[in-house]
Amino acid sequence: MDKGRVHNRPSLIERLQGFDRRWIFLAMALAVVGPLLRPCNLPFKASPMVKALYNTIDELEEGDVVYLSADLDPPATPELEPFFRAVVLHLKRKNVKIALGSTWYAAPPLIERWIRDVVEPQIARPGEDGYQGAPDRPYRKNEDYVWLGFREGKQAVINKLGSDLWGNYDGRAADGTPLDQIPFMKDKRQLDDFDLVILLSAGSPGAKEFVQQVQTRYNIPMVASVTSVMTTDLTPYYDAGQLLGLAGGMLASAEYEQLVGLPGLGTQGADVLNVGQIVVILAIVFGNVIYFASRRRRRFS
Amino acid sequence: MADAIPFIEILGYWLGIFLTLAILSFLYKDNPFYKFAEHLFIGVSIGYIITQQYYDVLEPKLVDRIGVPAWHVLLVVVLFLVALGCAAVAVRRRSPASVATAAAAVFLLAGAVYSLFQSGNHQELGPLVSSIDWWIGLIPLVLCLMMFAKSVSPRWSWIGRYPLAFVVAFYAALEVNGLVQADLGAQMQRSMADLDREKVNINEATPEELTQLPGITPPVAREIIEQRAEQPLSSIDQIEALPGLTPAQRATIAEERGHLIGLDARAGTEPGQRNWFRIFSEVLLLLGLLASLVYFYFSIEQKGAVGKVSRFGVWILMIGFGASFGYTVQGRLALAIGRAIDVMGKDKDPALAERIQGPLVAGISILIIVVGIALWELKLRRAGRGSAGGPDAA
Repeated sequence: MDKGRVHNRPSLIERLQGFDRRWIFLAMALAVVGPLLRPCNLPFKASPMVKALYNTIDELEEGDVVYLSADLDPPATPELEPFFRAVVLHLKRKNVKIALGSTWYAAPPLIERWIRDVVEPQIARPGEDGYQGAPDRPYRKNEDYVWLGFREGKQAVINKLGSDLWGNYDGRAADGTPLDQIPFMKDKRQLDDFDLVILLSAGSPGAKEFVQQVQTRYNIPMVASVTSVMTTDLTPYYDAGQLLGLAGGMLASAEYEQLVGLPGLGTQGADVLNVGQIVVILAIVFGNVIYFASRRRRRFS
Repeated sequence: MADAIPFIEILGYWLGIFLTLAILSFLYKDNPFYKFAEHLFIGVSIGYIITQQYYDVLEPKLVDRIGVPAWHVLLVVVLFLVALGCAAVAVRRRSPASVATAAAAVFLLAGAVYSLFQSGNHQELGPLVSSIDWWIGLIPLVLCLMMFAKSVSPRWSWIGRYPLAFVVAFYAALEVNGLVQADLGAQMQRSMADLDREKVNINEATPEELTQLPGITPPVAREIIEQRAEQPLSSIDQIEALPGLTPAQRATIAEERGHLIGLDARAGTEPGQRNWFRIFSEVLLLLGLLASLVYFYFSIEQKGAVGKVSRFGVWILMIGFGASFGYTVQGRLALAIGRAIDVMGKDKDPALAERIQGPLVAGISILIIVVGIALWELKLRRAGRGSAGGPDAA
């Protein structure tokens, strides 16, 4: 390299190599906020895995009881709360009883809020704008649903749920009501006694541990809604038939909302997600173009 | 309804918006607003964890099981030991502070003993300790106390290894068992069955086999079985036209038509049809798995034929990592979307969102943070320390 070139102004590629990444953060912020202010309504369609999940729940009959394990924390709410709202509406429309539990210490405040907002009140009133399908009805505590609470112990707790659910929760609900005083829980002593297990998982312990510890051993019908990051790990369980349905991430939650006829947080988010992913793809292409251009320049200089 | 929400709760929403933006300010650079939010988050989290673990785990699993009288006696024993230790120190040092500490310990001990006899808890202890469950309930307590030995002194740290060994062995056994049954056994069985499995013949399949097909739910399977009992189906397309199906079931089958009879054919009406696409997929999966294992086999130099197989393995791994990366990006974006929806009040009742005024609060928070960071940078420059680093500097 001669001395003259050192003092030259940097070339376009050199300037782009020093590109401040904070511009990308700003572009991403605009990509997130923009579609929330002005929705683009980009189309999406339910995937076979989500449809399989929907069909499994649709097969439940009035009076059936499901165990819903919400193993999650606040960061997972954008991806899993829309699914929770949609699946609870689906269950309530079919008059299915719900037993809720968790193996994550951060979950109880979230679940208690969701119970107040989604399980107990009527959320799809007839003729209300935006909702399609049958209306639901308010659910009563310890009659239509029970909140069992959180238990520490990770895989050990899940393993015990398979053999002795009552023992795991010390024979009482989170509010102290003995389980033998809750009519629909009287003969639900272990997970195998439930008609379906629905998992909302944000990591470990979660859907993977439920499949490993109880599904395979007791052949329990299970479906799962998981965060995007977990989807590739869980897909083999769906392919092998160990999970009867799988919803991965916010987009899958939006797909479920679409199937249930409850456009909500997931549908709003899916729109933003589509725009955000376009920005990510452009950033990847941009980075690769700069990389290959600088490599080519180095090779010929 | 929104009017019924107390002001303190609205204040909580405002604080949430401010703290969200304070955390995001790290994208510009490490700064005092970010540090404040981070420390607050850690402090609140630890307080929450301790409370939650006590009420949901320690109380039902340990405190209730051991019983209040036993805890009372344990408190007396612990205070007795503390008082004894303080007294020994007071005798040796003879300083006013050590004498005062010993006196306080003895006073507390006397209070605990008085309260034990006053409450009559000592009388209830007899029947409690005669139960075998009570002694079993003590095991986790003893293991917990042994764990604390690690933090008392390096000399006693060996005691802490026993509960650790117990935990590691217990969870290793659970994990291995689960992995072998669910990951190795069930999935290998499924893969091996697929390799030689023919297409599902819809005129002969059992209801279970039919429901394995995409779009065929148990009611659709029942309908197929009823229909074929009258007359065997001559084409897959006839499923879609079955009279007893609902419009939704018909639409689902129409969407899955490609999977039923297309390249990834799963269903047929003739006996002996092989699912060649499925066989190709399974063979590719097996070869990809073996090639990936070759890449991690370091005992042979990876050149020539081994190198080519290893290269193929790298491609398979890259495809896997690419899929994971794509989903990870989606997850991180969802996090940002969740916070944006919350800040903008898009997930709230319109009346509540009106009271919170999220976008306005966000604007004011951004202004405070921007001005604050500018003043902080000015102060740093005046002090001659220059500007702090970007996101990577932390």
